[in-house]
Amino acid sequence: MARQLTFSIFRYNPNKPGDKPRMQEYSFEEFEGLTMFVALNKIREEMDPTLMFDFVCRAAICGSCAMMINGRPRLACKTMTINLPSRITVMPLPVFKLIGDLSVDTGTWFRNLQVKTESWIHTNKKFDPNALEVRMENKIAEQIYEPERCVECGCCVATCVTANIREDFIGATGINRVSRFMMDPRDERSDAEYYEVVGNEDGAFGCVGLMACADLCPMEIPLQTQLAYARRKMAAAGLKLQFAGVKIS
Amino acid sequence: MELAKNLQKTLNKSYGKTDLYVDLAESITGIILVGFLWMHMLFVGTIYINNGALFNALSEGLDKYYLAQIGIPATVLVILLHIFMAGRRAPMRLRDLRIAWRLSKMINHYDTWVWVGQVITALLIGIFASMHLWTIMTTWPIEAVKSAHRVAEPGVAFWGGFSIPYYLIFYAIFLLVGEYHAGFGLYRILVKWGWFERHKMGWVLKGITVIIICIGVGALYMFTQVAKMYPHAGGAL
Repeated sequence: MARQLTFSIFRYNPNKPGDKPRMQEYSFEEFEGLTMFVALNKIREEMDPTLMFDFVCRAAICGSCAMMINGRPRLACKTMTINLPSRITVMPLPVFKLIGDLSVDTGTWFRNLQVKTESWIHTNKKFDPNALEVRMENKIAEQIYEPERCVECGCCVATCVTANIREDFIGATGINRVSRFMMDPRDERSDAEYYEVVGNEDGAFGCVGLMACADLCPMEIPLQTQLAYARRKMAAAGLKLQFAGVKIS
Repeated sequence: MELAKNLQKTLNKSYGKTDLYVDLAESITGIILVGFLWMHMLFVGTIYINNGALFNALSEGLDKYYLAQIGIPATVLVILLHIFMAGRRAPMRLRDLRIAWRLSKMINHYDTWVWVGQVITALLIGIFASMHLWTIMTTWPIEAVKSAHRVAEPGVAFWGGFSIPYYLIFYAIFLLVGEYHAGFGLYRILVKWGWFERHKMGWVLKGITVIIICIGVGALYMFTQVAKMYPHAGGAL
């Protein structure tokens, strides 16, 4: 016998005048292979066309469908209802700006992060389109691949107490992102330059170590390893650095 | 590449090394205090040996070599430093407290709950450690029989002759609260710097904490026995 599932979904459209935040319930019978992504689409198609939520790839690649499912941040497309109780509460991710219902704007947050941490390869080498591609050692390529798997869904940020109370903290995803460039031999940035970006409370030294990010990352990226790597590297770099400060009186 | 070209910060965000030093200071003071607490409990545990003869010898040694005179103020300083360094991480504003509490309840995540416990035990330690320091300083020097009588203090009698041994209760709670904060605090420091696999390391630290708590509970029992052996408070050992 199939279970009767009840979805209690957060509803609020900040752009609709007079709209108030509320929980709305939808119910239908569970079927085989049902994911949260399929369930939300079914609700939108058959019960309530006004329901807002994000999705693109339905295969845990785009990171758009992150939401709080029974209190924990998950990708809707990767969450099977069979692993959940019959009553499912769905909320939008905290920290990010609410667009409406379950849809949040992670794009602006991540865009700011990319600019702040300069998430691209910094090199003085001129690109020669005719030259052979420079080879990278397999071991380093594999090392870089781990942090590179991040799909920027925002789950680690949503579940981090520090990111929730300190607006400027770049979160596990940000530190993970920078540690990826630190490992990359093509990036010519010096330790001092990385230190300017993450050698502070908003970056590597801001993490309190609650590890909800590592435990709840939908991509299972070893975030503790990445965070600790960045912290150790930045501490070692910082201790060696000389700062010519300007005294402000 | 030249550094200045890549600076993406406003003037008031330029921290230099402050954040690094503050972060290191938090970890280092934490490690020192865990070391102090575990050592302290091992010293208290010497009450098992010879009904407190070693306990008294240690206490006299601390006095004779000025370890107490330097050690106690130094420990108080380290505690104060640790309060400022670690406290800045805790949610302080009412808004932040509400967010932290709601998020902890919502995600119901083990390590996050453990951290909520750390914040609460930190506040309790602030109160209990002050009381403990006051008691020790005003009854200096530390002697086995004196400590034993304090632990065995029956307390003020209520109606019906029922009394509350407040010192015993105080020490029992202080022991649990202190060891919780120390054990999980060290866990969190090691997690942040990432030298060990955290799940295994967590179990090792839980094991050590349980052992220390057992030593503490055993010591409390021994004190009550010593008090029975020497019924007069000033009784020589």
